[in-house]
Amino acid sequence: MASSSHPEERPRPETMVLKLRAQLGNHALWDALLIVFPPVLASLCAVYLLVQGAWVNETVASTVAILALSLGALVITLRYRPRLVKLAQAAQLVDQRAGAKDHFLTLATIDPGNCTEPLLSRLRQDAEELVGRVELKRDFPYKVKPPTYWSAGSSLVVVLLLYLLLPVAASMLHPVSASQRLRELAERMAQAPRLKELAEQLKTLAAKLEDPKIQPQEKQAAVREIEQKVEERQKTEDEKNNRDLLSQAADELKGLEEQQSASGQEQQKNQSQGGGNLQSNLPKEGQGEGKQSQGSGADGPGKLGGQLSQDMQQGKSAQGNPKEPGQDKNQQHQGDTKGNQPDPNRPGKEPNKDRADKGQGGSKDGSGKNQASEEPPQSAPPAERFYQAGEGKDGLKGARYVTVQLPEEVAADTKGEGKTTKEGTGHRGRSQVPVSNVPLPAHVPNAPTEKQPMPLEYRGIIR
Amino acid sequence: MEPERFQETFQRLESEIQKVIVGHAEVIRKVLIAFFAGGHILLEGVPGLGKTLLVKSLSHALGMSFKRIQFTPDLMPSDIVGTEVLTDNNGRREFQFKQGPIFAHVVLADEINRATPKTQSAVLEAMEEKQVTVFGESHVLESPFMVLATQNPIELEGTYPLPEAQLDRFFFKLLVAPPAPDQLREILKRTTGAEVGACTKVLSDDGIQLVNEMKLLLRQVMIAPPIEDYVVRLVHATQPNGEQSGSSNVSVKQFIRFGSSPRGAQSIILGAKGNALAEGRVHVSYEDVENLVADALRHRIILNFQAEAENVSADEILANVMKQVKRN
Repeated sequence: MASSSHPEERPRPETMVLKLRAQLGNHALWDALLIVFPPVLASLCAVYLLVQGAWVNETVASTVAILALSLGALVITLRYRPRLVKLAQAAQLVDQRAGAKDHFLTLATIDPGNCTEPLLSRLRQDAEELVGRVELKRDFPYKVKPPTYWSAGSSLVVVLLLYLLLPVAASMLHPVSASQRLRELAERMAQAPRLKELAEQLKTLAAKLEDPKIQPQEKQAAVREIEQKVEERQKTEDEKNNRDLLSQAADELKGLEEQQSASGQEQQKNQSQGGGNLQSNLPKEGQGEGKQSQGSGADGPGKLGGQLSQDMQQGKSAQGNPKEPGQDKNQQHQGDTKGNQPDPNRPGKEPNKDRADKGQGGSKDGSGKNQASEEPPQSAPPAERFYQAGEGKDGLKGARYVTVQLPEEVAADTKGEGKTTKEGTGHRGRSQVPVSNVPLPAHVPNAPTEKQPMPLEYRGIIR
Repeated sequence: MEPERFQETFQRLESEIQKVIVGHAEVIRKVLIAFFAGGHILLEGVPGLGKTLLVKSLSHALGMSFKRIQFTPDLMPSDIVGTEVLTDNNGRREFQFKQGPIFAHVVLADEINRATPKTQSAVLEAMEEKQVTVFGESHVLESPFMVLATQNPIELEGTYPLPEAQLDRFFFKLLVAPPAPDQLREILKRTTGAEVGACTKVLSDDGIQLVNEMKLLLRQVMIAPPIEDYVVRLVHATQPNGEQSGSSNVSVKQFIRFGSSPRGAQSIILGAKGNALAEGRVHVSYEDVENLVADALRHRIILNFQAEAENVSADEILANVMKQVKRN
């Protein structure tokens, strides 16, 4: 085999073995470093992210970072030391590469003191002839080991996961308020000169949202207003960054609007669950004018008279204009209520008829006067004799009235032993026939069970 | 002495012997290695394989004295080592030591297992001490001295298996295998034709000195400590109670009654040195060692009854040991 280097440049066999040993030692060190370095770096990144997210304070972070570095150094040492190549191993590698028969091994490991000089010289001479076959850099290149890739990959994944999940976890554990988000968004928008004005408005909105004195309806209206502005601006905006900011703002405002409407509902529900609710058919702002209802008042406890307006008889709620803006949810409510209310004019509606029959039957056998009084005549308007003095076919003549919705317990007390019609409605104590112009929240389980017409004797006071 | 001269002489001896002996190149080489290492050889093989001819050819090529002793049951120790004989020396009668056939450079102990243990043991001192003692007087044997014993592995009736102590004194136990068909053809050609091959003397008159120099050179051959350690581990692994023969080597525990003695390790290393010189190297390699482990250890490990019952040979166990014991 031809030697690749000039004989004078050839290193001594023992030197070559020593060089190879050092080179393999370096390889082992690199292996250890490349395997341990990514996890250490990942842990430092993790610490940095934790500090950024205010999960840990700087003292803890410094301690953890020092610990990670120390642990890394320890692991490197523990991994590197056993992998240090022994002289004999290095010599054997050279032997293998050079096709020698343990020439280098013998030269590298033998004690020259125990050898005769001529034989040692001869061995060295033989080995030097073989040295040319080996080139350390070519024959023993550094190769990255598979664990290095695994280490780097897994560390990267961990860092990415932390980077992505920490903000999520932070928002889950410490949610940022909508107004705060709006403020942050406004600050970013304020950096763009063209969006400065909108940013100011957003800030104002954020302040408004935080103000507990402002009604939810007002907040909702304000949100909607800004949302419209943002949408309009979005249409005209050319710059991409601004468009992105505007779309973020739009999303945020949309979410806010939904949130506001949900909270409005919640509030309404809470109000309805609380003690008495005074409802009136007096014209209010944002509500249509209530229609007059007709019906009979109750004469006393346990004898509640079913007051029934004409509209109610036709299955309509007597509340104001359902098309009133800002009352979408209420409209929905009304619709539900309507759907649940019996419609005596609708032919073939057997269950309603059955219920009406039952009510009448109840009054016949005298077991429940309440039942009889609550159940209005289905097919025809009540006879004249059923009207109180001052009342007519069209209700109280020339009078405006209010109905009082009593809490459930009070209603029950007022009824005494009175039997409520429960069949078919699915809601406890729910009146089958609407007795007021107040739309009943049909799907609310704890809705008031009774709507009691205002006794006639109190009408004068309210009036 | 130069290693080159050793190699040259060795190769000439090999080629001269191979003029007479067809095949068995490995056996010839190992016999020569043992000769220069100062060891004795036990040749085992069925009759007619050329064992005796090999020894004769060796002595002839070496140009040294050769004696053959045919071991029989009625052979007496004095028939081997010699005895005091009453002689008349100018009217004065005195006992004079009459040397036995052991006094030669190369001694062929043919069918050594046919002699009684008493006779066999007569060879012990000669083999180990290179001297014999008759009537209290020691007689040093000439150097070089080599005993090549043969034994027949099949005709065991009426034989006396060599005691372990005597077996241990043999440097190598070589198995002489039947010739391959082409070798047999060559044997027939050489032995049945008009011309019969004959080897010539390789060493000159100062051959003894040369042999001694070669023996000295062989001992100077270098061996790396890791290789020495490998030999130690190999020999130690044959011990049924040794550390190396723990759970990893079941066959050693199962089939070996006694492992190799330190002489086994000595034989391996000296043989490896001889092999290295024969190949023109001045240092021992792992291959030299591995090449000679079986020859040096097969007669030194004592198999138990289970191994004999299951027909497990020492060579199989040694092959297993070599698989288990790794190089450094």
